[in-house]
Amino acid sequence: MRRKFIHHFFRLATGLCAAAACAVLGLIVWAIVKRGWPAINWRFFTEQILLVGADGGIFYNLLGTGILLVTAFCVSAPVALSLALLHGVYLPPKRRGTLALLLYILNGVPSILFGIFGMIVFVQFLGWGKSWLTGGILLGFMILPTVTIALMERISAIPRKFGEAAAALGLRESQIIRAVILPQSVGGLVTGSLLGLARAAGETAPIMFTATIFAGATMPSGIKESPVLSLPYHIFILAQDSFDPAVGSKLWGTALTLLMLVFLLSLAALPARLKLKQPAHHD
Amino acid sequence: MTGRRRWSLTKWVSGTFSVFALLALAALLVLFIRQSLPVWRQEGWGFLTGKRWFYRQEEFGLAPMLHGTVAVALVALGLAAPLGIGAAIFTAEFLSTRLRLIVKVAIELLAGIPSVVYGLLGILLLRDWVYEAMERFEPLSGDTLLTGGILLGVMILPTIMTLSDDALRTVPASQRLAARALGLNSTETVLHVSLRQALPGLVAAILLAVGRACGEMIAVFLVVGRQDNQWPDKLFSAKPLLEAGQTLSTKLGSSETNIAYGDPLHWAAMVALGLVLLALVTFITAIGVRLQRSPHET
Repeated sequence: MRRKFIHHFFRLATGLCAAAACAVLGLIVWAIVKRGWPAINWRFFTEQILLVGADGGIFYNLLGTGILLVTAFCVSAPVALSLALLHGVYLPPKRRGTLALLLYILNGVPSILFGIFGMIVFVQFLGWGKSWLTGGILLGFMILPTVTIALMERISAIPRKFGEAAAALGLRESQIIRAVILPQSVGGLVTGSLLGLARAAGETAPIMFTATIFAGATMPSGIKESPVLSLPYHIFILAQDSFDPAVGSKLWGTALTLLMLVFLLSLAALPARLKLKQPAHHD
Repeated sequence: MTGRRRWSLTKWVSGTFSVFALLALAALLVLFIRQSLPVWRQEGWGFLTGKRWFYRQEEFGLAPMLHGTVAVALVALGLAAPLGIGAAIFTAEFLSTRLRLIVKVAIELLAGIPSVVYGLLGILLLRDWVYEAMERFEPLSGDTLLTGGILLGVMILPTIMTLSDDALRTVPASQRLAARALGLNSTETVLHVSLRQALPGLVAAILLAVGRACGEMIAVFLVVGRQDNQWPDKLFSAKPLLEAGQTLSTKLGSSETNIAYGDPLHWAAMVALGLVLLALVTFITAIGVRLQRSPHET
């Protein structure tokens, strides 16, 4: 009797926990969609901000976030590939754990510290002022662990026989890398980058002091003193003083846009992640 | 990989990029230490224990911000840990593989909601709810450590859930079958076998979430009130939770970072603050990662 009671009680309690957690998170999405949806139309994406966010759209914010993401990808991809090769090919197995631990620690570094680091290096040392390039580099550095770890997992999933077959054909190590490892790990690069960019798109802390401003920037034309607008910083600034209902509506619209962007990026990574457990593909 | 080893272009290129990345990581640490030296020289350990931060008087003490950080992290953990682990037990132990996958995908999607969006929800909704719910305790506003903690709790909930679920799934199915064969029902299997074996992983999930909570800036920034020098009269009481406060990371995110930029000592104090945050989070994360990856021996 008692056993049965505990059993049912436990199932019920954990089930309620799961239901509550899903409900809270579902409500969050619903709250944003409900308030943001009315603001969204074609003009919202194609016009620039007017009246301090009360009118117009978020074209240059989208553009700025796009520039930051493309830059972050260009910075992180080659470095992540190199680190993954170092981990999978060049390093002796004993050292691999250390590299992985370093990456996990880098992954945990609070994003605001990247902002301060960027201020020291790019603003103080290089005198760039606020620049899109600083933001892209910092975001690229920030998502480096995500991209690298996805690549490392993919490379270690390549069956040994692939490399052995290539070596038996007389290929040198560098040829094996180009002919076997790189083609087999493209999926990891795409998945890792999408996940990383999904995180980078919503980050405010690394770019607020170094790369982005609230209004008055369009397409950057140089490196020094050329900031961009961005979606998260727009929300961050407006959230602090939004008593004007018109601003409020545009604000929720921006939040919904950002949310959709992040969800799209992580959903795009999903099929490859679900397939990750399967063996490497043969073409 | 097999194959003849020698220095090739591929090796050079990937070596160069790797060294570059590791140098950047080292530079981060070195620069934070070097640029914070002036304030360590002036304040010494008092920087960590001092209760007053008045930059115009060149007084720099972290204690109230450490209190703020610990307070919001504990509130967040108090909410998210039981709920998250409970939910993970349900998804890992009682749900079918298919349903579990769907829930997990949804939860990981939600883990990606940007913190500024949480901040927006906090500032426009949660703040008022907390104020109304706590009205009889007469808080000055809805901007309190409690509000920051609740918001953080919601933010780290998906992290705790998905990492705990992973930890529970690492327990081999054969162990569960053995327990069931001995006559235990599924609840007893969870309590006596799965939870016990997954314990390091569960602790790791909590630590990694705490690491994230301590470093989270934007969302907390918007709802915590950012009141400096709030050292509580009684350390272990709930009263300060209903007052505005400041955490290490919200201080770094405030406009004081821009003000400090021109003044070497003040800047050193801000960078030192960052260094303390870095040390704290790295310490917590490193333990979490070690626990997560340690093999289950028993």
